[in-house]
Amino acid sequence: MESLAAIAARSLAISAAATLLAATWSLPLAYAAATRPRLRLAAALAEGLVGVPTVLVGLLLYFLLSRRGPLGFLGLLYTPAAVILGEAVLVTPLLVAVSYQVLAAAVSRYAELALALGAGGGEALALALREAAPELLAAVVMAFSRAVGELGVALLVGGNIEGYTRTMTTAIALYVSMGEFEEAAELGLALVGVMVLVALAVRAARRLAEDG
Amino acid sequence: MLVEARGLWFRYPGQAGWLLRGASAALRRGEIAAVVGPNGAGKTTLLKLMAGLRRPARGCVCIDGASLWDVGEAERLAARRRLVYLHEDPVMLRGSVLENVAAGLLLRGAPRRQALARAREALEELGLSSYADAKARSLSRGLRHLVAVARALALSPEGLLLDEPFAHLDRAKRRLLARLLARLAEEGRAVAVVTHDTYLASRLARRVILVEGGRVAEGGRELLEEASGV
Repeated sequence: MESLAAIAARSLAISAAATLLAATWSLPLAYAAATRPRLRLAAALAEGLVGVPTVLVGLLLYFLLSRRGPLGFLGLLYTPAAVILGEAVLVTPLLVAVSYQVLAAAVSRYAELALALGAGGGEALALALREAAPELLAAVVMAFSRAVGELGVALLVGGNIEGYTRTMTTAIALYVSMGEFEEAAELGLALVGVMVLVALAVRAARRLAEDG
Repeated sequence: MLVEARGLWFRYPGQAGWLLRGASAALRRGEIAAVVGPNGAGKTTLLKLMAGLRRPARGCVCIDGASLWDVGEAERLAARRRLVYLHEDPVMLRGSVLENVAAGLLLRGAPRRQALARAREALEELGLSSYADAKARSLSRGLRHLVAVARALALSPEGLLLDEPFAHLDRAKRRLLARLLARLAEEGRAVAVVTHDTYLASRLARRVILVEGGRVAEGGRELLEEASGV
């Protein structure tokens, strides 16, 4: 049986990779929505999708990645890459919605100050981004928290394969189904520990943003 | 005349009616103008339009006779840099008071050492040297207003457009700021001050810009009587 530490390490690595992948498209999209009124609809759509059930995203990804699906030729189903992609899709609405709020406020607050002080448009936006950085970091950490705690995507497109795609949440589900409550509780505690660390990180980033 | 606004029409996106309807006003060198009027009349918007921070739907903002919105981006930036607008709720950046005061110069590309040296001078002018290393966001609202004034002073602008700069200051600091503005006007700078305090306006300014019902009236202190009635 795979060690709990190995499962936890894989779980954190997959969720970190998924969050970073989601950030590569979510932050530019949030920035575009914050600076171009025509794209605000994208932010509104993201807000509406924040609470989408993970199992629904997992099912959608399953259809896309299954052998007969449009992306079946990639051979990603039941690989860590599929879980990374699925979790990235899952956290995208949260990351876009929170980053949009942060960036819209920063652009209105700091870009206007910069312009009033004689900055050009580029410098003004750069200042807004610099001032928003701690809160954007907090948004990314929140997205990581959502990724690491989800079950539906990891189970449906990862397959809970031992030593390969098993994550903390799929392992907990498996242990419970097998009646091995001690292992399930240990992983559950580790998961809670991760959540607490994430909450502390978000708090620290917000404090940095508020106090400077 | 440093800034002249002629026939400005303006409304914010989504706003049904016009906030300003053919508003005209001028800021002259060596003069303090008090901008008065009821809440929501468009005083702040008028100042932002004059500072080139907002574009009017119609009308013209001229700085030294050159229309701000009929020139290229580089020329407009150069013209905007002759003026500084101070928000009624001054925004402080992350970092120290000194860094905040130097922010405008740094944004304009000044070398860091030079910007910090100028920022120290500006802080000294306002008696704020002891706050140089304090975190700007930890300051009281009144002190943040003064830091914002120092940030503007560091840029040595030809025109200062201040939105309610006295609102949160104690008596001593009000006096200090009033003296400073008078000195800046004596030095030949144009100063516009939005205020609801008609007594202060009468002491500070010889010219009054009354914004009301989308229109702007300019005149002497007699206009303050109209303003105090609104």
